[in-house]
Amino acid sequence: MKNSLLDYILRIRLPITIFVIIASFTLTYFASRAERDGVGYMPDQPINYSHKLHAGDLQIDCQYCHVGVEKSRHAIVPAVSVCMNCHTVARKDSPEIIKLTEYYNQGKALPWKRVHKVPDYAYFSHSVHVNRGIDCTVCHGEITQMEKVGQMSSFTMANCLDCHRNIHQKLPDLAGINKGPDYCWACHR
Amino acid sequence: MNNRKKEKAELSENNNLQPHYWRSLAELHNDPNFKEASRHEFLEGVTNDFHPSQLPSFSRRKFLALLGASAALAAAGCSDYHDKGEIVPYTSKPEEILPGKANYYASSARDGSGILIKTREGRPIKVDGNSDHPVNRGKVSAQVQADILNLYDSSRIKNPLKRRAGNAFTETSWKDVDNEIIKELSNAGGKEIAIITKRIISPATKKVLDGFAQKYPGSKVYSYELFSNVIRNKAWQKCYSSSQYPLIKWDEAKIIISLDADFLGTDGDRIENSRLFAIGRDVKNLNKFNRLYTIEGNMSITGMNSDYRIRLRPDAQLELIMGIINELGYGANSVKLNDVIRKYSLPGKTISLLLDDVRKNKGKAIFYAGRTLPESIHIAVNYLNEKIGAVYLYRTDAANVELIPLSDDSDWQQLIDKMNNSRVAATIHFDSNPVYHLPKDLGYENALLKVSTVISLTETENESSVKANYTLPINHPFEAWGDVKIRTGFYSLQQPVIAPIFNTRQKEAVLLTWLSGNPDSYNDSLYHQYLRNHWQNEIYPTISSVLDFKQFWYGALHDGIVLSKDKPIQHGSINSDILKSKQPEETSTDRFIISLRESYNVGDGQFAGNGWLQELPHPVSKITWDNYAALSAVSAERIGVKNDDLIEINIDGRKLELPIFIQPGAADDTITIELGFGRKSAGVVGTEVGFNANVLLSKNDGISKWIYSASSVQKVKGRYNLVTAQEHHAFDNELLKDIAQNRGIIREGTVEQYKKNPRFLHEKEKHELHSFYTTFEYTGVKWGMAIDLNKCLGCGDCIIACGSENNIPVVGKDQVAKGREMHWLRIDRYYSGSPEEPVVSNQPMLCQHCDQAPCENVCPVTATTHSPDGLNQMVYNRCVGTRYCSNNCPYKVRRFNFFNFRDHFKSGYQEDSLFSLIYNPEVTVRSRGVMEKCTFCIQRIAEARQEAINENRSLKGSDVKTACQDACPTNAIVFGDMNDKESELTKFRNHELGYYLLEETNSRPNVTYIAKLRNTHPEKA
Repeated sequence: MKNSLLDYILRIRLPITIFVIIASFTLTYFASRAERDGVGYMPDQPINYSHKLHAGDLQIDCQYCHVGVEKSRHAIVPAVSVCMNCHTVARKDSPEIIKLTEYYNQGKALPWKRVHKVPDYAYFSHSVHVNRGIDCTVCHGEITQMEKVGQMSSFTMANCLDCHRNIHQKLPDLAGINKGPDYCWACHR
Repeated sequence: MNNRKKEKAELSENNNLQPHYWRSLAELHNDPNFKEASRHEFLEGVTNDFHPSQLPSFSRRKFLALLGASAALAAAGCSDYHDKGEIVPYTSKPEEILPGKANYYASSARDGSGILIKTREGRPIKVDGNSDHPVNRGKVSAQVQADILNLYDSSRIKNPLKRRAGNAFTETSWKDVDNEIIKELSNAGGKEIAIITKRIISPATKKVLDGFAQKYPGSKVYSYELFSNVIRNKAWQKCYSSSQYPLIKWDEAKIIISLDADFLGTDGDRIENSRLFAIGRDVKNLNKFNRLYTIEGNMSITGMNSDYRIRLRPDAQLELIMGIINELGYGANSVKLNDVIRKYSLPGKTISLLLDDVRKNKGKAIFYAGRTLPESIHIAVNYLNEKIGAVYLYRTDAANVELIPLSDDSDWQQLIDKMNNSRVAATIHFDSNPVYHLPKDLGYENALLKVSTVISLTETENESSVKANYTLPINHPFEAWGDVKIRTGFYSLQQPVIAPIFNTRQKEAVLLTWLSGNPDSYNDSLYHQYLRNHWQNEIYPTISSVLDFKQFWYGALHDGIVLSKDKPIQHGSINSDILKSKQPEETSTDRFIISLRESYNVGDGQFAGNGWLQELPHPVSKITWDNYAALSAVSAERIGVKNDDLIEINIDGRKLELPIFIQPGAADDTITIELGFGRKSAGVVGTEVGFNANVLLSKNDGISKWIYSASSVQKVKGRYNLVTAQEHHAFDNELLKDIAQNRGIIREGTVEQYKKNPRFLHEKEKHELHSFYTTFEYTGVKWGMAIDLNKCLGCGDCIIACGSENNIPVVGKDQVAKGREMHWLRIDRYYSGSPEEPVVSNQPMLCQHCDQAPCENVCPVTATTHSPDGLNQMVYNRCVGTRYCSNNCPYKVRRFNFFNFRDHFKSGYQEDSLFSLIYNPEVTVRSRGVMEKCTFCIQRIAEARQEAINENRSLKGSDVKTACQDACPTNAIVFGDMNDKESELTKFRNHELGYYLLEETNSRPNVTYIAKLRNTHPEKA
């Protein structure tokens, strides 16, 4: 009697329990790993543009292209004409620039693949963050080192709030900064 | 014990003193259905359509939904879930556009008012007033605000249309149309080319028409307005032999006596009149308070806001005014005031107070007659005003300008005769709709059949364009160039803020092309160049500007207005014999009087296709999506009808069937009907809404152009469902019956009372409210609103502004009937007193953002919470649609999306891809199953806060203006930071007249109402 109960527990209950534990752990792990939030997402772009070259090696200021970042919600992707400010002269013959010139001359839309996205129902503003002295790299990573841009940090609400609530631990250099708001209508409305 | 008894006695005594407020006759008469309904948040049957037994077991919709869902699932499995779509930048970005930032452009609206159009990424999304404009000073009417909906109306005509054999219209090209029309116009020979237009307010348009007449000598311009000041002006000319009836200094008048004149509604420039009137309703300046007497046939906005109201049929008002003239001793005939009072059983006491006021306020009192009243009464009023010194209140600094006088009756008759005799080669409907607007017995529609070429220039299909050979689409005002001259002292300019969405052209450019005789002469900037040249050659030299023309021109476009020097206005002196030998005819009281008025919402019918305006509740009756015959209970009894019964009105053979509505405060034997409804061709939204009462108009004046004596009025078979939003969202009144005054939803007093005891409103408040929650400390900015009920006129402009700012959908008449309207802001209208002589109180009602909000405690998913700046937050993404919050809200201000109304209304009319351009991108477009409510314009607060951070300063309360506040013509709404002790809001919040609604629930609202003071005569107070 007792033997058979032990036998039952060992042979049936234990494997099922272990299986359930492992399965839920695996599932939870896969569902919640950073990659699910898009971390590491690095799509091919229609033009093989290098941030490392422009922002890193040539040290062009971010705001030469992303003009909205200090004034608007959107940092904005520059108009093709901004590229052409230099590229009517610079590297005219490289194959990527020929592609670019084609877009410009034909007035064709240039469909960059979107890398970073905050959901529609969150009203994120670049200007307030940048004007408070938060560096682009805090969210976007070491952009000056990227040949091809990929997502470096998670853009989930938890990640936003982590910074908003613990700003002084996260960014100890910005001593004068206030804590970010953490009520609903700060972002959702 | 004793104390309690005393309190109880006091309560009941108070009970008797307090007027009993009621919203509708159903409530007044304790209709059990109404009582039952007021206990519930939602109307009975509001969810019936969703009961499982009502739903088909496996509908087409469900099938498609499942199909879609499984396809989406399959697609999700295969595609890369990381894909976030694309970002497509401009190829070259227009310099002034920065994505995420709004641009504002000054322009002019259809009616000539100065506007600022807000655009985002090149698409107009909201209209506000231009604060530099001398007439409307930064405020605009509901119609002008809602005009943006007409821009994105998918019913607009998209290409030129030509009628082919078989009467069908087919699309054609502008070039073909131009070629054909130019040929026909050139071959007109000696025949006439009639251009039919509404009032011309643009000098450049006038020049185009003059040029057209030069090229085609047979052409003649006819202009009309459905409602105009013709009678008033004609009377003025007879009295003063000078131009036009002057503008009034409403702000300086102490006593205003309005005779059927809805000067705060449809009569004259409402926005300006309201602003000036409200200067005399400032509780901080009691000595400037004006007193308004209204004598009228039906309850109007002006009547709602009067201190004394006398109801009197319009045709009897001449007798009354004659009686007053004689009583004051300026007499010219034998009418005795006392006889008039007896004959119409008027309140003698009120009239004696009126006379006393007029005698004591010489030079500060003015009589003002409505524009629909006959000439004789205007002459009498002019005479009386001269005698009592009201001339001082006529403005001499500015006057209205009429560029082309409206055609008179004989002009129209001549035109019809010519048309019938085939002496008219072509008729051009220049953005007008004469088939709908002109009196039917003029025979315009039939005469049109005799004209070989009929051309309609119009934005949307209308009754005239369907009769035309050519229907040519024209630009919306926001796509058009132009200039405006409505007043002396300034010009205003109109500039396009978006390129024409469809294949439309500027209406003036169409004429310019025809007058050039060459279709190829058209280009997109044809009229722009013409206008600029016109200004350079004719207007710029008169301005004496120090700038060169180019700078001047860009400056003028930027400002939207240009000040000019015009001759000072002289009114001349009155012909003092004007009243001699004038004896008013005896009014026969046995016939019904039919009084036709302009619609508050859809104007003369040109806004019939505008869902926002159709759904805006009527300011008095709160009826939406309809017009009706308003009459008094006595009249209804005389005909033998109840609400919603149909009657047939017959005026000399002109017949109309329409439903009745018993309007408290209407004069007996007077039936008032609003025009502008019953359009037969007005697009998806506007067609067949209401009843076309234009058919009652006649080319032969009745009592006046707009007032007739009915041959018969009788009940006919059938009922009709008028939908009123009035009884929806009514506060639970059960308690009001018991603890009466403590609910104090409307609290009022008189100026005298307030002068005697400034704290009279709070005398009876005794108990303190306790809470077992700890009070939250608001340390930073805390938002609050104050609404001054002395200034709120109940017009509804704020409702449209709110809808436009916050992406509020139109739900349609059937849904309003079920109590599902989505307006975040409503204006509650309460009557008190008897149904015959009611007193009206208005109260804008919106989310009170209570500090201890009852809605927050009951949400099972914490979708509604409180923010540290005092806002009651609603988070759509969390909301699962239990509607508990709405059920627990004592103010009934929460709105639930029973459908995705964009999809539901008129089979997806608002789902059109064009329509989505109207949305404010800073506000979420809510979907089905989500609760929503007023946010205090959180997007504007957020923007101001971001601005403050960007400029490295702290946020001030005055940085934010809500949409309703921006729109309010009388500045009745104040918004700001109540922790800022210096702010205007704090002053209102601490004002003796300030009170909160349902204070006893301890919800601690953040909206303060300033109690209305009625400026009654001290003798009566």
